[in-house]
Amino acid sequence: MKKRMNKEIRTGVLISGIVAVVFLTALVLLNPQNQEKKVYKIILIPKIIDSTNGFWSSLTAGAELGAEEFNVDLEVMGANSEEDVKGQIRYIEESIRKKPDAIIVAPGSYSGTSDALQDVVDSGIKLILIDSIIDRDIAEATVATDNYLAGRELGEFTKSLLTKDAEIGIVAHVKGASTAIEREKGMREGLGQYEDQVVDIVFNGSSYDKAYALTEDMLKKHPKLKVIMGTNEYSAVGAARAIGDLGLAGKVKVVGFDNSIEEIQMLEAGVFQGIIIQKPFNMGYLGVQQTVNILEGQPVEKSLDSGCKMITRENMYEEENQRLLYPFTGQQ
Amino acid sequence: MKDKKGYRTIFGRFKSIQSTIMVSFSVLMVIAMLIFLFIALHFTKNTIYENSVNYSSQIIEQVNYDIDSYMEYLINISSIVSKSSDVSQYLYNEDQTEEETGEERERILSQFVTIRDSRNDIYNIAAVANNGRSVLNDGSDHFTEYINIKDESWYRAALSSSRGIAISSSHVQNAIQESYKWVITLSRALVNYRTGKNDGVFFVDLNYSAISELCNNNSLGDKGYIFILDENGNIVYHPKQQLMYGGLMTENIDQIMSSKSNHFLTKTGDKLYTISKSDITGWTVVGAIYTSELMKNNKQAQMLYFLVAAVLLLGVTVVSSIISREITKPIRQLRDSMSLVEKGRFDKANVDVTAENEVGSLSKSFNVMTERIHTLMEQNVYEQKQKRKSELKALQAQINPHFLYNTLDSIIWMSEAGKSEEVVLMTSALARLLRQSISNAKEEVSIGEEIDYVRSYLTIQKMRYKDKLEYSIEMSPEINHVRIIKLALQPIVENAIYHGLKYKETKGNINIDGYKLGRKAYITISDDGVGMDEETLAHIFDEKQKEHKANGVGVPNVQKRLQLYYGEEYGISYISRKGAGTVATITVPLDGGTNDEKKDE
Repeated sequence: MKKRMNKEIRTGVLISGIVAVVFLTALVLLNPQNQEKKVYKIILIPKIIDSTNGFWSSLTAGAELGAEEFNVDLEVMGANSEEDVKGQIRYIEESIRKKPDAIIVAPGSYSGTSDALQDVVDSGIKLILIDSIIDRDIAEATVATDNYLAGRELGEFTKSLLTKDAEIGIVAHVKGASTAIEREKGMREGLGQYEDQVVDIVFNGSSYDKAYALTEDMLKKHPKLKVIMGTNEYSAVGAARAIGDLGLAGKVKVVGFDNSIEEIQMLEAGVFQGIIIQKPFNMGYLGVQQTVNILEGQPVEKSLDSGCKMITRENMYEEENQRLLYPFTGQQ
Repeated sequence: MKDKKGYRTIFGRFKSIQSTIMVSFSVLMVIAMLIFLFIALHFTKNTIYENSVNYSSQIIEQVNYDIDSYMEYLINISSIVSKSSDVSQYLYNEDQTEEETGEERERILSQFVTIRDSRNDIYNIAAVANNGRSVLNDGSDHFTEYINIKDESWYRAALSSSRGIAISSSHVQNAIQESYKWVITLSRALVNYRTGKNDGVFFVDLNYSAISELCNNNSLGDKGYIFILDENGNIVYHPKQQLMYGGLMTENIDQIMSSKSNHFLTKTGDKLYTISKSDITGWTVVGAIYTSELMKNNKQAQMLYFLVAAVLLLGVTVVSSIISREITKPIRQLRDSMSLVEKGRFDKANVDVTAENEVGSLSKSFNVMTERIHTLMEQNVYEQKQKRKSELKALQAQINPHFLYNTLDSIIWMSEAGKSEEVVLMTSALARLLRQSISNAKEEVSIGEEIDYVRSYLTIQKMRYKDKLEYSIEMSPEINHVRIIKLALQPIVENAIYHGLKYKETKGNINIDGYKLGRKAYITISDDGVGMDEETLAHIFDEKQKEHKANGVGVPNVQKRLQLYYGEEYGISYISRKGAGTVATITVPLDGGTNDEKKDE
């Protein structure tokens, strides 16, 4: 009798203990914030590190803000030239050695960096492509402008500038880069029936000076050249500088990609007839956001279009476009 | 916890009052604790929410006030500059010499430089007249040729405003060459002193340093922030303006602009907006706090409540187990003592009265009751003993008249037959028997005396039955002195003769052995008579059994007396087999005289 009673009391104490434990467990469960979120280490390798370039500095700024927003340890490293594929491969290899959670790469070549990027994937590091793509489908996700669509929009705009016999020259950036390939394809598509008026295409390796020189050469070679299309900031600005300096502003029309203060000024001045701008800030930010989502195991869109916008002299002062043209950096 | 029936069933399951009390206490405590928790949590949440709203409102109003005073200050500066004679003369007096205008321009520029140098929140400062004259910054910057400044919204707003003052939303200042900065423009209409009409604009371009400082200096928690909307709901300032402009982040601007209250929770409940509108700037200052952060305090409070509840619960369980044990202790003692009484052990049944309460008086009554029962029982036992003894005494005095008659008859027969020797032997045995039965008034005799009595009896019986009876007695001398109640052996022997040997055709033997084993003396009376079946054996101590009574004292009477005198462990035991014989063993203690029988004497 006594034993049974003691047993009941022990059971009672046990039940109270269990209730107490349940209380404490509820407590812990109610406090998910107590669980410290892991700080991911992410390395961003843009095609180039160049503070004079509006596109890449804006992309980096977007990525850095994203890193701040999502509490990510972001390291940016990259070559000094877009053409330096070997340099980029070196940075990719160095990144692998640093064992980050993920690497965001803007590949400088459509096929040249693929082996190095395969190593990234093989090392168990998540690979996210930004701005450009490669010849293999190994990345977890891609964040880029739909370069074909952007090129086509620029081509369609260019059509409105053309007269019948006007010759067209293309100043492209890096041969073999997916952006250059896609944009050229888009532009030709957009030009439609005028496509066969494209008389020349040159590659400048993403250098203002080289683009400038190549444009001069092209004008000498093709005196009837009336339109020049630049496939990125270096190409467009280099070509426009040459046109401006040659006093051909308005006579030889320039359209191109991307956005910088210089491009805007030349757009105002009438050297550029139109520019198609990407949203590099969004691209950088979304790149980091996608990466964090992947690392946290959330579903993501495999290929994210960061968007683009055609800007002309007429619409450049519209508020919406101003926001895209002039990156807001607060205390400037 | 469901209904009363359920309660009873639950209580019915408990095996002790202690656990019932303990569990009830604990259950009540848990319920009380849950109610307390519910109220406390609810109350805390509301309080924290209200406090946050109040705190946030105060901060937002303070920020709004600071922005207003900042703008008032700038308006004062603009007022001083725009009303200075230098500006009026330079812009509108067309009759001056070039030297005069040059001097005025220099003075204006130096004033502008002073203002720009002293304040890092001003990008551009300029005065523009509709006639085309203008002064800009330090004189080295120029207006862009691509834009007509008169078409700019901030320019027109100043001219059309009734106060002559306009504050723009944030925009890119496109009017100045090679400068594309996000600014807020404070513009003020300039009055042409010659016509008295608004004929130009003085403006100041402000960067965000002052405003962001005002907004960031006031913290709304770790993650909370302050942003500013203009009267149309456009963003003037936002700490993450770039994300807002990139479309990567949104605020519930429509809801803010249409809200009538000064605070509201978003539909998803993740943000709390606090709103304050300014009449001077027309702006709306909005504070955004993440509810998750607000509720962090709530979580801490919850944690504390749960912790206290858990500790209290454990404490209450332990204390209630101690209390319930203490409360039920006298009851348990009472129960234990009652179970002793059930077993008839009255000597240890007395309960210590430790309390003055109901249980205490119950214990007292119980003690009185058991004492009385004990006394009554003792009295009853004593009376029974006395009754038995008096019965026995009465019986002892008798000698079976049949036996006497038969014996005397035998003597007569033997005398007639001239067997004088045998007559002498039988008569002397009878005389000894009679003397022994009457001489000793004591209740106890020694085993030796009892054996002598049996021997006399057997002598007579052997002579009577001649060839049919043979006997032997082998007593260990060690037990001759051991005390035994009178007339214990003879009835057993008589029983053996009349029930065992009498019906036997051939000669019967009776063997009497006495020995000691341990602290007991054993006397066995064995015969090789007809024996008993199990039925008879089982009822051998049954007084109602019809039987031959030797001297009026039967076997059951002997058994009772033995056990009455010496206790339950002593007495007679029988072993018997039908057709083989019977063994009766009498057990008495060696120190037969030391038990309570002596006290009775």
